[in-house]
Order: sequence, then C-alpha cells, then structure tokens
Amino acid sequence: MATDTASTSVARTVALTRVRRNRVFAVSLVVIAIILPLIPPFNGQDYQRYLVAAALMAAMATAFDFTAGYIDIVNFGFAAFVGVGAYTAGLMAVDFGISPWIGLFVGAAVSGFVGLLTGMLVLRLRGIYAAVITWFVGLALMGLARNMTQITRGSLGLNVPLLLDSSDNLPYYYIILGMLFVTLGVLMFVIRSRLGLAFRAIGQNLQAARASGINPTRFLVVNFTLSCAFAGWLGGFYAHYYGILTPDIMLTSHTVEILAVAYIGGRGTLWGPAIVAFPLTIGVELMRTQLSALPGLHLVLYGLLLIVVMIYRPGGVAGAIRGVGHWLDRRQEARLDREARLEETAEPTV
Amino acid sequence: MLRLTGLEAGYDFLQVLWGVELHVEEGEFVALLGPNGAGKTTTLRTIAGLVEPIRGSITFRDKPLSGVAPHQVSSIGIGYVSESLNLFPAMSIYENLLVGAHTVKDKAQIAAQLDLVFQLFPRLHERRDQLAGTLSGGERKMLAIGRGLMPSPSLLLVDEPSLGLAPMATLTAFEALKELHQRGVTILLVEQNVNTTLHLVDRAYVLEQGKIVLEGTGEQLLSDSHVQEAYLGI
Amino acid sequence: MTTATNLRKVPLARRFMTFTWGVIGIVIVTLVVFAFVQPSILVDTLVTGGMWALMAGGLALVFGVMNIPNFAHGELFMIGSFVAFLVFSPIQKAILGDPTATALQVVGPIPGMIIAALVGFLVGVILELLLFQPLRKRNREGWVMNSFLLTAGLSVILINGYRLLFGNDYHGFPRYWDVHPLSFFGVSVSVDRAMVFVIAMSMILLFSVFLQRTRTGRAMRAVAQDETGAQMAGINLNRIFMLTLGLSSGLAALAGAALLSIYPSSPDVGLQPLYLAWYVVILAGLGNVPGAIAGAFIVSLLQTLSVYYVGLGWVDVLPTAIIILILLFKPSGLFGSEVKGVWEQ
Repeated sequence: MATDTASTSVARTVALTRVRRNRVFAVSLVVIAIILPLIPPFNGQDYQRYLVAAALMAAMATAFDFTAGYIDIVNFGFAAFVGVGAYTAGLMAVDFGISPWIGLFVGAAVSGFVGLLTGMLVLRLRGIYAAVITWFVGLALMGLARNMTQITRGSLGLNVPLLLDSSDNLPYYYIILGMLFVTLGVLMFVIRSRLGLAFRAIGQNLQAARASGINPTRFLVVNFTLSCAFAGWLGGFYAHYYGILTPDIMLTSHTVEILAVAYIGGRGTLWGPAIVAFPLTIGVELMRTQLSALPGLHLVLYGLLLIVVMIYRPGGVAGAIRGVGHWLDRRQEARLDREARLEETAEPTV
Repeated sequence: MLRLTGLEAGYDFLQVLWGVELHVEEGEFVALLGPNGAGKTTTLRTIAGLVEPIRGSITFRDKPLSGVAPHQVSSIGIGYVSESLNLFPAMSIYENLLVGAHTVKDKAQIAAQLDLVFQLFPRLHERRDQLAGTLSGGERKMLAIGRGLMPSPSLLLVDEPSLGLAPMATLTAFEALKELHQRGVTILLVEQNVNTTLHLVDRAYVLEQGKIVLEGTGEQLLSDSHVQEAYLGI
Repeated sequence: MTTATNLRKVPLARRFMTFTWGVIGIVIVTLVVFAFVQPSILVDTLVTGGMWALMAGGLALVFGVMNIPNFAHGELFMIGSFVAFLVFSPIQKAILGDPTATALQVVGPIPGMIIAALVGFLVGVILELLLFQPLRKRNREGWVMNSFLLTAGLSVILINGYRLLFGNDYHGFPRYWDVHPLSFFGVSVSVDRAMVFVIAMSMILLFSVFLQRTRTGRAMRAVAQDETGAQMAGINLNRIFMLTLGLSSGLAALAGAALLSIYPSSPDVGLQPLYLAWYVVILAGLGNVPGAIAGAFIVSLLQTLSVYYVGLGWVDVLPTAIIILILLFKPSGLFGSEVKGVWEQ
C-alpha cells in the first residue's frame, strides 16, 4: 500500500539523517578537542594543564565504563590499576633506564596481567561481591606500594623522568588526546564486534547468556583485562607527565572520581564519559585553584552529581543527548509523514 | 462484600485485565476459574493492592479499595494467600505464623488464631519449630493459608492452593477451606482444578483473556457445555 | 516416608547454630590458649572484635533487609565519633576544672555516646527518606549496584563535607575515664578499653534480642526474607526500611563514639572501620547478621595475630589473599547468606 512504502521510506530517511547527524556530532567534537588549546582562554599554560588532566580523565572514564557499562562489573579498585601502570612505567625508567615511550606499554602489560589474575579469581562471583573484592585488591595494591618502600619509595614519592624535554603542556595534550582517541576507538570497535555483543548479553542476563552457549567467565575476564591494560597504559602517561608518584594515586576516592565521571557521562556509552570529563575536570581544576581554602569541595560536588544522576537521570548526559536526538528524529518523522500524506491526497493514483 | 467493576489492570507494558466484573457476598465461597494466563492471579494481586489498577473500581464492604497500600489490606479484613506463597524460609512455622499476626495487638487473639490454625493443620503443629524453607510442598501451602488466617480475615483470597500438590495434600487444603467457609469466612478461590472446585463452591466465574465469560453456581457450571469442553475434558 | 520426615525434623537453624557456636568455641579456645602465651592478643581481640561486630552486624542487617551494600557505613562511625567529641569536650573541661566531681568523671562520657547513637539513628532515617525512597520509586532496576554507587557518592560527600567544615585535624581525648588501668590476665587494660568491651557486648545482646524476640525485629527479618510476604502480613515496608537504616547507622555511630579515645575523630577515621565491616560481612556471607557478629571476632583475631606476627608490610595483602581463597571455595561466604536472592545477578 502506498502508505506503507511511504512510511518505510520516511523511516529510512530519518535513519540516514540520524547517522549523518551522529557523524557530524562526533567529528565536530573531535575537531573542537583538537583546536581547543589554541583558543583563548584555553591557550594559557594553566588551562592547558587542565586540558591534559581532562583528556586523561576522559580516557580513564572510558576504560572504566568498558567494564561497568557493558558487563555490569564495577571495578572498585580501578585507580590501583592505573597506579600499577604508573609505577611500572616509572620504575622501568628510573631503575632500568627504559624509554618512557616503551614504559607506557610495559605499564599496560603489567597492569593488564594483574587485571587478568584478578579477573580470573574474582569474576566468578556475583556483582556486588566482585565489586567489593576488586576494592580489596585495590587496597592491597596500594598497601604494597606504600610498604615496599625500597622499591617504590612509598609516600616519599618516586621521581620519574618526563615524556618530553619541554615544559610546554601543549604537546602533552596532543599525546594524551591521541591516547584518548585510541582508547575510544579500540574499545568502541570491540563493543561493535561479536565480542561486544557477548559482553552486553552477559551484562544484561547472565543466565540467558550461559544458556546460549557463551562461557561468561572467559568474556568477563577478557573485558576486565582489556580495561585494566588501558588503565595501566594511561597510568604510564600519568607517571611521565606529572613526574612524581606516590601511593595516593591508588586511593579509592580517585576510583570514585572516575566512576562519577563515567556515570554522569552516561554508563554504557563510552563516549558519554569521554565528553563529560572535559567540562567536569576543567571545572574541578578551576575550583581547586580559585577556592583553595575549601579543599575537597570538588569531591562533594562529584558526589552530589553522582547521586542526582543515579536517582533522577540514570542515563547521564549521554542519555540526555540521545534524548535530544530522538526528539529531532521524531520531529523529522512527523514532518515527513505530513508531507507524504499531502502528496498522496494530491495524487490519488498508485 | 467485595465488588469489582470494570477492572482493568496490568504490569508495566502488558495489560492483563480488560474490564473484570465480579462480586462476592458475605459468607459465600466463590471460585475464579480459567486457563493459564487469563489474569486470575492478577485479579487477586490487584485486590490485595500489589498491582495498581488502570481503570475500574474495587469496593470492599462498600468502601473503595484502590489506593490502599498492600500492607494495609490485611487490617481491612482481607487475607491473601499468594500463588508463590511468599513464606519466610529461614523462620520456623511458628515464627511465620507470628509474623502473619503482625497487625494483631491482642495476645489472647493471637493465641486463639494459632490454636485454630493448628487445629486445621495438625501437621503444622507437629513441625512448629521446623524452618519453612525445609517443608514439603503441601506443608508450605498449609503454612501459607495458616499465616493468612492469623489476622482473622473476613475475606480470604486464595490463589491456586492445589498447584503442584499430590492428591492427598490437595484434599487437605480443600478440606481446610471448606472448614473455614463453614466457620463463616468468605472465600474467593482461584483454581485450575475445575472439577473439585465446582463441587465445593457456591458460585464461580470463568475468566478468559482478562474478561469474565461465564458466571453461575457450581452445578450450573458443571453442566455448562463450554466448561465441560474446555476444562473438564468431556 | 518416615525416614525422610525424620531427617527433615532436624531444623536447619540448629545445624547452622551449631556451626556458628562451634566456630565461636574454637575462637574462644584459641584466645584462651593465647591468653597464657600472649595475653595482650586476647584483650585486643575482644575489645576491637566487639565493636567491629556492631559495625558488621549493622552492615549485614542493612544489606539483608534493604538490599543496600552501604559504602557510607564508615562515615556513620565518623559522625558518631565527632558528635561524641562535641558533647564530651565541655564535660571534660568541667571535669578538669573540678577534680572532686567524681560523679561527672564516672558518667561523663556516657551522654556523648548516647547522643551520638541518636544522631546516627536520625541520619540513617533521613538518608532513607531523602535518598533511598526516591531511588526505589524511580529506579528499581539494578538496585543493588545503583544503591552501592549511591552510597559511594554519599561517602565522598560526607568525608569531604566533614573536611570542609571541621578541617583535617584530629579531634579526640587521650582517655575517657582518667583512672588506673585494670589488670586482666596479667595484662594492663585501660578502663576505656574495658568499657568498650562492655558496651559492645551489651549492645550485641540487645541487638540480638531485638531481632529474635520482638515483633518489630521479627518484622525486619521477615522483610529480609520476603518483601511481598511481609507486606501481605501487614508490615509497612517504608517504616521498616527507616528503622533498619536508622538502627544500623546508630550502632555505627555508637561504635565511633565509644572508640573516640582510641580512634580520634578525623575525616578519614571511618575508612578502617568501613573496610573491616565489609571484610567481615563478605567473609561471613552478605546479609547474615549472626554470621557477621561471629565473623567480626574471627577477623579481629586474625588482625591482631597478623599485626603481632606478620608485621605491617603485608597487612593489606594477606587478608585480601585469604578472603579471595575462601570465596573461591565457598562463594556464599563462610556461614552462607540466608536471604532473598534478589542480588543473584
């Protein structure tokens, strides 16, 4: 019937528009991220420091969301895995003179390996048990870092050579931005693959997934390991950018920060946390410098935002953006439907 | 006593009841029959306040029942024995019954009801310290009915007491319900065991796809051709 | 038929209780042995074990009844600690100003503890009303993880809120009761520590009696085992939830108050109790309140032993390794969790 073909073509048009719109959205975000540090006020050294921190947070939140948003496991010791990568990279450089660039990847490998071990042991357990045990593992790792002072220098701090010789923040920004794009790219690719389908199936209904022949534990471990490997890789950058490491990098409150960014951004989207990390981190850094008399205020705000998101907007910012997209889609659909119907009444043939 | 008018109800995106009309008078023993998925359990759950109606009304003793929270339903005088029983598995039979009497202030009354329950179900008295989670199917049904009786309800809603039970246990359950009816408790019974039920009750309704399709006394329905074909295999 | 019914006649409760009492018995024997080898171990274990039992018991209760893994539990300890400090400060000034006020010296610390417990209770009730009731109404999916993350956010707010308002400094007193220490098995025990033990034991007793023998306690246990069944029995769920979170928070605050002279108040003072409470609860089995109480003593013993014999280096790694091992073999915890399987996912 005419109306049917008309409605399917409407649907197709809307879908094509949506795809194009998403592409434009993504590309413009990438462009903005690239040119941002060249625009005032972001071209000041202070702001460029914030941008580096923001991009780093964006990448970490993305890696965190890969586990929390897709296989429904909250890695509550995430900051410790970042720390493992950081210390590995740092110690490689300090004790063995290995180039920081290689150290990044060694850090990723070691962190991934620790993640693999943790995953194998812990992921058999149910959600909340797994979350709490990863928390314990994180605390244990932090304890090791604190107490093995002959290796890590503990709370005195480990001085680490920087990635680049210049003290200019701009090149660091582009490096971490590149790392962010790689993280996003790889993880999104995995999510769209059959591996990702398995992740989502397991995350949503463990029993059904098992019944479909998927061995959940293996997939859980792969996901967890990958997430920890990226954490370690980013930890390596942290070490070679900030130049000094203390065990405090592994504090649970840092995991909660990353977690907050991930959930406020939109759990299970990967890009939501990445986008939201920028305004949040820059805002936090501004707060830290302007309101230094009020320490920890930014954490209070993170906590409040997290709670508000959990209760009132579980989809986070990404959910809101998606909502806008749907609204645009429906508006276009309604318009095209009207046009199609007008055409029909004008030409009652077919 | 209980009147449902044009009741429409369902879950999230699935509407199950499409205008149910039924009534139960004081002292009656009425059954709600029908195939699986017809909405019998939903009807009882809506009366008990566990499901919010979309449209229509429920009145109990001429007072509207909508908007009453589930935990208040028992203090109004309606007892509900669910299909899944909802027992407390880590508590003993005795404790389960005590919890059933949560809204009863008078200790003597609680003791009296306990006696009644143990009279109706001597097996429960034998095993009063046994944990509910370790009981057999029949014992669990007995306990569920017993717990529902603790606040001395005037109307008892019972959902599929014979489900999954061996014939002996089914008999005990039905005997107990008959006894209760004789003591003056009004009963609305949902059942799949059509034959025995129709011999037991005063009146019955047949619910199919969320609507009442038949109504009549036990004998009337036993001789009804549709009932015979669809439910009695005759 | 007869044999089967006879077997079923041994109530599960009795078997479970034997196991728990057995473990407690072993712990007691070990302690007695150590009392003669190293008496201070006995004392330390009993003193801290009692308080961790209160913390862990409350945590287990909230998880069992409300299905909330409370990550902000340690912050209630922090609140109780600070409230006790506020209340006792003026009293202590009065005592120092007048050394003959013996009545004040004896009774002085008590109001702080009582008020701390009450404040804790109120905070619990408010949290249920402000946070969990709305969450329950709006978002029932993934409740366990969502409420867990919510409490994580809450914990961050409370710790940093405290830091903003009261600073990073420690607030405390060297002693609640400024008297000579007692002698116990040849070990010198300060009156403070002895009182901590007495308070903990009495509260554990009261708490257990409340849960097992009162109508409301029974209602709480009913809600923990089957929410719908509890509603059908006429139990008001919202009221039980408020009471449960209030009770759990009140106990945690009381622990903070009682331990003020040993653990002075600071923003981070709740972190170790949080970790210990969680460790006990996971070890014993989530939602299992008696298991949590027994487990607290076991963990306390392990902690005391490891501090004495293993030293500080492995203090975090060893417990983690132990608990992972135990969970590998018995995923529902040492004593198992006997509550609703809603968190099976």
